[in-house]
Amino acid sequence: MKTMLTASKLTKNYRAKIKEPGLAGSIRAIRQPQYREIVAVDEIDLEVERGEMLAFLGPNGAGKSTTIKMLTGILTPTSGTMSVAGLVPGKDQRELAYRIGSVFGQKSMLYWHLPALDSFRLLGAIYDVESNVLQKRLDALVELLEIGEHLKTPVRKLSLGERMRCEVAASLLHKPEILFLDEPTIGLDVVVKAKIREMIRRINREEGVTVFLTSHDIGDVEQLCRRSVIINHGRMILDSTVDEIKRSYLHKKVIRVQYVMDIDCTALEGFKVLQCKGNEAVLEVDAKDSSMHDTMGRLMAVGEVADVTISGMPMEEIISAIFQQEDSRREKGGDDA
Amino acid sequence: MWKRSVLPHLRLIWDYFRTNLASAMEYRASFLMQAVGMAINDVFFLFFWWMVFQQSSSLGGYEFNDVMSIWALSASTFGLLHIFFGNVRKLNGLVQSGELDIFLLQPRDPYIHAHTARMNFSAWGDFVYALLLFLFISGFHPGKWLLFLLFTIGGALLLGAVLSMADALVFYWGDSSGVTRLVTEFMLNFSLYPESIFRPGVKWIIYTILPTAFVVFIPYRVIQHFNLPVCLGVFAVDIFAVLLARKVFNSGLKRYASGNRMGARM
Repeated sequence: MKTMLTASKLTKNYRAKIKEPGLAGSIRAIRQPQYREIVAVDEIDLEVERGEMLAFLGPNGAGKSTTIKMLTGILTPTSGTMSVAGLVPGKDQRELAYRIGSVFGQKSMLYWHLPALDSFRLLGAIYDVESNVLQKRLDALVELLEIGEHLKTPVRKLSLGERMRCEVAASLLHKPEILFLDEPTIGLDVVVKAKIREMIRRINREEGVTVFLTSHDIGDVEQLCRRSVIINHGRMILDSTVDEIKRSYLHKKVIRVQYVMDIDCTALEGFKVLQCKGNEAVLEVDAKDSSMHDTMGRLMAVGEVADVTISGMPMEEIISAIFQQEDSRREKGGDDA
Repeated sequence: MWKRSVLPHLRLIWDYFRTNLASAMEYRASFLMQAVGMAINDVFFLFFWWMVFQQSSSLGGYEFNDVMSIWALSASTFGLLHIFFGNVRKLNGLVQSGELDIFLLQPRDPYIHAHTARMNFSAWGDFVYALLLFLFISGFHPGKWLLFLLFTIGGALLLGAVLSMADALVFYWGDSSGVTRLVTEFMLNFSLYPESIFRPGVKWIIYTILPTAFVVFIPYRVIQHFNLPVCLGVFAVDIFAVLLARKVFNSGLKRYASGNRMGARM
């Protein structure tokens, strides 16, 4: 079986009560309750291959977590079908639980007052892992995640990075086939982020674990995933390789110019100025609108240039631009209607 | 059947019991204070009834020892329930904060798993106090003790089932904490007084929707005068209530909306 995960027209609607502010609003809401249907996930189609690392992206409230919760069997979809590791989440939940691992950056599987080792032993029992198998698995994870010295320290005394590595170890104890990571690097410093990413790469490479990742950290996406799916307002707006997305936006450049003397920022009129202060300016230019030769000529006319750096658009801004394009397309669609 | 359907649950309950007790030992002073505090609180209740029976030797046909025995059954039941199923009455918070997610992701029955994952430390005070009280009242009579312990287990299951059904209303109403609090208070209050003082309407309630009679009054009668059919009938009611509560929980689960509040396991 090559496909690890499929979803077809997966939809989740919520009914939310509408209430006017204040006491009068509360009384009216009791007398005549009104509801609004919220479409959290709207007919998403998805297919993930075994061993793939997929980035599932979107702004807050886009429906990422709801989708993950349906795929892991936590939430029941309103409509649509799905299959994970050949099983139906929710219906085959017990069997599925043995085959999936999950790390929700905001929720802990570890006991706060106890050393992580106690939680690992409890999880081993919950997942029916034989004690000798559990010990071997723990040894391997301790080496991989470099958590040996933290195993006997109460979790409350660990740093966020140390705790997160223990959380990842907890999610891998039962050797899952697919790992759902929801914001695994949230709040971590760059060094720990790099360690977590390296560890995810190794698990994927050495154990063939499929990774389904959501993150607001574009570094996670760029460094881990080959393919990304972007959703907004519950709908899938893009399914492409990370390289392809970058290539589509290659014509956008960010130019950082340093002048010998302070400049008058109004002289940069006509450019999209991201920042201008003293003798330094940061601009965004589109190579499709004007040639780099013309752009450089105009910049050199402003003052004596000391240094220039030209870089591609950061992935973060590319994603943001995709969201904005989708939003304006929706607004136009709404206006037309 | 036993191996597949019951043993895994008992193992899970035992594993959590050990882990939660270890967690309690991290803060020994707090644990002891909670347990001893609850036991002292219970002693005041004993004193109250002693004062009442100084005025009259009998109340509705119940004597001091009878009232103390039903109180011992009530406290042991309540204590045992909260030692092994400390999340009973906490489902409301688990559902609202989305903390129930963890139990749905793991290969165990979510109804039992969610309830057994926590231990209420003060409940140890109730439980130990109840055992000492029963020992003081009844002495060491093996038959009576066996029945007392079996009815404590059965009663804990029944009380837990009723409270968890009240709690499961959170899936439908969005907040069930008030109802759970009321049901807890009714169940407890009805179990503290002699059955004979209740009027027919109240009796109907304690034999049906708030089945305190099956937690304390009928078990106490069986402990006094053993009757096998009645004894088996009480256990049948206990098991039926647990199965019903599990069904209600699982039905409600389909409406679970999760949440994103940050949290840690304590």
